[in-house]
Amino acid sequence: MEAPSARNESPAGDVDSRIGRIIERAIARNIPGLAPLPQTESELDVGPTPKELVYSDETARLYHYEPVLDEIYRVPLLLVMSPVAKGYILDLARGQSLVEYLLLQGHDVYMLDWAAPRREQSRLGLAEYVIDLVGGCIDAVARDCGEDDITLVGYCMGGMLSAMYTALNPAGAVKNLVCFTTPANGDGMELYKKWMTSPAFDIDRLVDELGNIPGDFINQSLQALRPLQRSANQMRLLNNVQDDAFVKAHLRFDRWAVDQLPVPGMLARDLVRDFIIGNKIVDNTLELRGQRVDLARITVPFLHVAAQHDHIVPAAASRDLIGLVGSKEKQEIVMKGGHVSLVAGGNAVFRLWPQLDQWIRVRAT
Amino acid sequence: MSNDDSLDPIRLWREWFVKSEKAWSDTLTEMMGDENFSRGMGRYMHEALHTHRMFSESMAQYLANLNIPSRGDILDMSDRLAHIEETLNHIQVELRSQRAQLTKLAAGTPEAGPRKRPARTRTAEPNPS
Repeated sequence: MEAPSARNESPAGDVDSRIGRIIERAIARNIPGLAPLPQTESELDVGPTPKELVYSDETARLYHYEPVLDEIYRVPLLLVMSPVAKGYILDLARGQSLVEYLLLQGHDVYMLDWAAPRREQSRLGLAEYVIDLVGGCIDAVARDCGEDDITLVGYCMGGMLSAMYTALNPAGAVKNLVCFTTPANGDGMELYKKWMTSPAFDIDRLVDELGNIPGDFINQSLQALRPLQRSANQMRLLNNVQDDAFVKAHLRFDRWAVDQLPVPGMLARDLVRDFIIGNKIVDNTLELRGQRVDLARITVPFLHVAAQHDHIVPAAASRDLIGLVGSKEKQEIVMKGGHVSLVAGGNAVFRLWPQLDQWIRVRAT
Repeated sequence: MSNDDSLDPIRLWREWFVKSEKAWSDTLTEMMGDENFSRGMGRYMHEALHTHRMFSESMAQYLANLNIPSRGDILDMSDRLAHIEETLNHIQVELRSQRAQLTKLAAGTPEAGPRKRPARTRTAEPNPS
């Protein structure tokens, strides 16, 4: 942008014109940021890979993605999302989609995504999520594709549900188990542990009053783990506001990050009491409908992928998982990146996805 | 990026903010983990829930007098819509299943699924990459 036409030769004039140029440039560069930006899921075109609803029960939604190759691996793959997050993070956009990548590698991909619970669904707890909903979806995959084996891939709390299901059904359909950034040690969730063990915190009162825990509440709790990150991301957006690809990618991530699902009241109670306060997974005392959830009973090949800079599920919360699982064939990979950039975004394409495919493909025949 | 960017004070401030965000966030998170903060937050939550209940009840009565739907009414409607959506989901799943059966009968093959599915015979050849 040109400097103001009236130039003053004096030093003071130089300073004035320089300041004028800086202000004009700042305004010019930020104007695109003021233009109407895409906001909704359809405007942002998230979840572009074609899929069909295969099964639905309570809050569980099982989707099957349309295969793109004529020949696929025998063992289907079920992605299990966290009950607090929406599944489109794994199918963010063309070229930035783990689902699309796996389809192109020849996998038969299903996804267990979650719907927001209705008020009367506040009765759904950990037992219902693990035994009825994850279990129901695994049975539905078998019915749909005709294969008895399955590879479970759980993200965050989806990994926790998947590991619990596999522990309860060691001779069941699960042939391989993969967990991404999965918490196992409640003591490692340091901030939440401090809050929830405070005498002033009462999960029963919260659930009795609210029924289901609202998504905004979950969102604010997650933001407390890194309070200024969202502001810093806005600064990054302003610094790159003239880069359309950056802006759109940023808005997709930002949209997902605040798009948290409400949590059924009973599930929140169970997670707070049994996982955060009781730390029952590590203590091996967790029971679901009278059955003990002993991760040592998992004997199938197991892969855990953790992120080096994960502030949501820090290493202290996830590193015990590999030791708790009883499989002889098990592996842990710690990769650069954060909780989300591990599975989505530019770096995931080169870092995680090829390793994941490599690990699964030799076990999917 | 032009050289002039280094003179843009707003941009410089934003870059400083981005670089130092992690340290500031860690400090704030540490403060929030303090015993007093945890207790204060718990108390605040109790008060907020109490206020929320009182306000909801009084507003519901006020809105009812004005013949305007309250939050409870909207939630009732949302539950009913979600219920309808669930019913539609079940119909959609059932239709998919019926379509698969019809395809099987029509083709007379043991193929499952609404359309011809790819063969599950792929072998794990080494990844070229």
